[in-house]
This record gives sequence, structure tokens and C-alpha cells, in this order.
Amino acid sequence: MDAPYSVGEAAKPRSRATRGRAALEQARLIMLVMINVAQLWILAATVEAALAHSYQEMWPLVIASGICWLISLSIILWWRPASRRYTSTGYVRERR
Amino acid sequence: MSFKNLDSEKLKPGVSSDLSDERDVRRAIAPHQHDFPYERDEEAQVTRREFCNFLALTSTALFVSAAGVAGKAALDSRSEQSFSPMKIEGAEALAPGSALNFRYPTEDETAILVRAADGQYFAYGQKCTHLACPVYYEQQRQRLECPCHEGGFDVRSGNVLYGPPPRPLDQIVIEVRGGEVWAVGRKAGSHGRSV
Repeated sequence: MDAPYSVGEAAKPRSRATRGRAALEQARLIMLVMINVAQLWILAATVEAALAHSYQEMWPLVIASGICWLISLSIILWWRPASRRYTSTGYVRERR
Repeated sequence: MSFKNLDSEKLKPGVSSDLSDERDVRRAIAPHQHDFPYERDEEAQVTRREFCNFLALTSTALFVSAAGVAGKAALDSRSEQSFSPMKIEGAEALAPGSALNFRYPTEDETAILVRAADGQYFAYGQKCTHLACPVYYEQQRQRLECPCHEGGFDVRSGNVLYGPPPRPLDQIVIEVRGGEVWAVGRKAGSHGRSV
């Protein structure tokens, strides 16, 4: 039975480009999750080093966390699925 | 008035009433859905892209937290603290082989005063140097122990005897003035482990 509020059309088979974009989004997601887990571990190690007054261990950990942050920033800002209409900087190409 | 017994043709969106269930609501808003279609279930979902953005924000927060913790620890280590002398109430009546808790140098920081069997006084900050659990005096073994992760400290030096603590306890400098015990300073425990 069709619901009265149901509008739109049935799902079409996904194109190759759509499948590629989905795979890329999935890869971005997995990388970001891994970076977050690593940063969580680094934060725990930083707290332990701070409590132990081990300053020579603390700063490399902060730098490592910063590098992780830069990687995740680059993934979010630049490593995106390309579109035929939208460039990586968000610019919309005119249709030909 | 209830919509339950009415046909969908008679219903108009925006009419206030006590709708009985979700089907009635959907029937009621059907004309509106036709003009402005959206799927209620999809609206509640989080897309992969939104979740990626959330993860990037989390990454920023974790980096800021690590930098903040390190910065605060470094600042604390550089700042010279001045400690005002404070009399430890009840210390003179403390029996040998027992301990007493007090607060020093501020009201927020607890410390422990131990009187050894030979009558000597030793005082330490009560925070374990592993993860800041409060240590207590174990009378039978005559040492300070942390109940959280089973760390042990020597009562005479504050050095780590066993367990995960990476450095000795912070030491409270005490002076005995005419039978009264005074706390006059605090020294951070330096690295070292007694074997």
C-alpha cells in the first residue's frame, strides 16, 4: 500500500561515479576515525606525562597531536570527492 | 476534536488538535508534504559528510586539550610558589605509627602527616603521582599506598616502592616548633624509584 505522503521516485541504480564518491567518503570517514583514536591515546599519554612531570615526553606528544590535527584538517578541506560541477575549492563550473 | 474518525480529504494542515498517532499526523500533513517533500526518517539520519565534519571538530578539540594540559603543566612547573607556614592541628597528639590528614598549602589540596614508630614526622601531598588518587597510610606495612592502581611509597622518603607511579610523592616541608608541627613549604617529588 502506498503511503499518502510518499513522493519522489524509486531508487535508481547508482552510477559508477556515485559509487566512487561513496567509497571515497567512506575512506575519509575511516581515516578520520583512526586519527581520532590516535589523538585520544596521545591525550591520555600527555596527561600521564604531565602528572609525572616528564616534560621531555610531553612536548613530542603535543606535536604528534598537532600533526594528526593537520592531517584531519587536510582530509576535510582538500581531500574531497571531486565533482564535475564543483571544484575542490567549492567553485561551481558553468554548465556547457 | 479528533482527526481519527475523519477522512483524509477533510483534513487540513495546520489545524490544531490532539492527533492520536503518527499515521494521523502523516495523513494530516499530506498536502504540505506534496508541496514541500521531505522524508521524516531521513531527516533524523546523520550523513557520512556530517559525521566527517564532527570527527574533524573532535580532532581539533583533542589537539587543543593536549596542548592545554601540556601548557598548564609547564606553566605550573615554572611558577615560583610562596608558601605561608601553617600549624598542623592535632599533630602533637599523634601517636607513633599513625597518620593525620590536613590541607596544605591551600584548602583544595589535601596532605598526609605520618608519625613513624620512632616518633619522627613525615608529610606528603596526598595525590598519587600516577593518576592523582589519594594515598593513605598502611599501618601494618608502614608505607603509603594508593588504592586505585596499587602503588606504594616509602614513608620516610616518599619514593616509589612498587606500582605504576612514575615519581615520588610531593613532599611537605615541616618544622617542629616547641612541640607544635608546622608545614612551611612544599617540594615536588623528583624522578626516582627506590629499589
